[in-house]
Amino acid sequence: MLIDVNAYLGHFAFRQLRHATAAALLRLMDRKGIDKAAVSSASAIAYRNPQAGNEELAAEVRRHRDRLIPFAVINPFYAGWQDDLRICHEEFGAKGLRLYPKWHNYALADPCCLDLVNAAAERGLIVSIPIRVEDCRQRHWLCDVPDLQLTEIVPLLRACPDAQFILLNGLGYVKSPLGQKSNGLPSNYAIEISRLSALLGNELGQLLATLGAGRLVFGTGMPFNYPDPALLKLDVLEAADGDKERIRWQNAARLLDQVARHDRANQTRT
Amino acid sequence: MVIDCHAHLAHHSSATWEADDRRLIEAADKLGIDQLCCSTLTPTFWATAEGFRECNEWTAQAMERFPGRVLGCCYVNPGFSREALEEIRRCVGGRGFVGIKLYNQYVCSEPVVWPIVELAIELGVPILQHAGHSHYPNKEQPRLSDAGHVAELSRRYPEAMLICAHVCGGGDWEWTIKALRSAPGAFLDTSGSVTDEGTLEMAASVLGVDRLVFGCDMSMTAGVGKIRAARLGEREKRKILGGNLEGILRRGTRGGGRGATEGTRGEGRGSTTTRQPSTLAPPAPPLLPPSNLAPPASGLLRRRRRPC
Repeated sequence: MLIDVNAYLGHFAFRQLRHATAAALLRLMDRKGIDKAAVSSASAIAYRNPQAGNEELAAEVRRHRDRLIPFAVINPFYAGWQDDLRICHEEFGAKGLRLYPKWHNYALADPCCLDLVNAAAERGLIVSIPIRVEDCRQRHWLCDVPDLQLTEIVPLLRACPDAQFILLNGLGYVKSPLGQKSNGLPSNYAIEISRLSALLGNELGQLLATLGAGRLVFGTGMPFNYPDPALLKLDVLEAADGDKERIRWQNAARLLDQVARHDRANQTRT
Repeated sequence: MVIDCHAHLAHHSSATWEADDRRLIEAADKLGIDQLCCSTLTPTFWATAEGFRECNEWTAQAMERFPGRVLGCCYVNPGFSREALEEIRRCVGGRGFVGIKLYNQYVCSEPVVWPIVELAIELGVPILQHAGHSHYPNKEQPRLSDAGHVAELSRRYPEAMLICAHVCGGGDWEWTIKALRSAPGAFLDTSGSVTDEGTLEMAASVLGVDRLVFGCDMSMTAGVGKIRAARLGEREKRKILGGNLEGILRRGTRGGGRGATEGTRGEGRGSTTTRQPSTLAPPAPPLLPPSNLAPPASGLLRRRRRPC
């Protein structure tokens, strides 16, 4: 079993993405042995109204819900985000969010963002935060968006201890509080591995030693990225088979199962 | 044969240089990389003649420590014209280095670089040119070359074996690939930390697989993973992984390079054609740097390299 927590569907504003449809992504997943993927709309990153991207995503994954798990892109500064969150969760079956504070021009510490994260936590949804979409050195001339700094995430983790976060497309954790063993932070975040080195500096191995295998999750960033580099990291990682299985799918499955259980409990109540 | 065309050894000012170099070889072992074309760079971008000589000496020592695995690339700053040319002759002609590494002290199409290219042609060795293209001013590397500069240089010297470094090194790779199209003599190195899907397929489609050479530039799983992922045939991948570079390295030993003689090195894993010491190389003529070659402002001298 292999679960990718970092995948996308739809067009991106500044670069053609191949494998951007559900059918194409599933074919790619089949070739690479990836069973399931958490997907969000690549279009919603640059749409003013990200809900249009969420709607496109919902239509695309409707017949593939056994393998493609929808995540919603929500901008907490855009009108009607509360309605969008409800629709994505209750009607589209979203299991989590993806936040783009730099692209959507807000700070993680802004009250609106805290409201969104707390609302997601109340619904039991996973909050995933991509540190970047593309390498900033290739950014488009019309769109000067910097990477999110890891230090900006720390206060959010503290402010929303009941939320469950997955940090995507990041590196440099070992030099930040996020990668330290006794960092005083709640253990409410998991780190996705697609940009972590597994050789030479071996940040992946270091995080395995400091945070433990339970805090690392497999992801590729496809179709932005080739999936193979992330797969190769697991191949070369020096770790017990059990730890690798946790990273490959068990941790992601556990987090997604928590969402499902929360959903079932809510349905029972209503 | 799998050859990483773009690797770096640790500068000996680092306390962990020996372990770092060993880790590089171990990483190559794990990934099935037979040989690595290595240079040692100075910690700050403005390399003095003394600085690059020291780096090349350490590269030569690594070639001895890891025989058959480390192929030396001679690093020079073209601003020190006479010393750079002497150093290239010493390393390529005398110590078996297989290529030249140029960084970002000058844009590669500037006249100061031309004598280096002419010597590379004479010796029959490739030049790996650090490059990248951003759509924003690069304050850290104001004289960063891009594929357009490499193409311009290649058109000026069509017989030169120029390798445009790290298409996946963080710039606009689509721009890079398209810019290099018009210079059929120039090659493209696949290295860099960026793993954007479709990069290699576009490069193969626009430039042809014969112009692509595999590299990691220390982003090891990214470098190998991209090749593994690319929708290219096995024969095409073999060319990229080593066949093309073997052809480049052979060119210099087929009589084209005056400073080199043919030899084989059978130690370590596999063997390849490498240069052996030669006494044929004439001394370099003294060259004065052109008047526009003042080194950059002092702040830049202290700027450290960042990974691509």
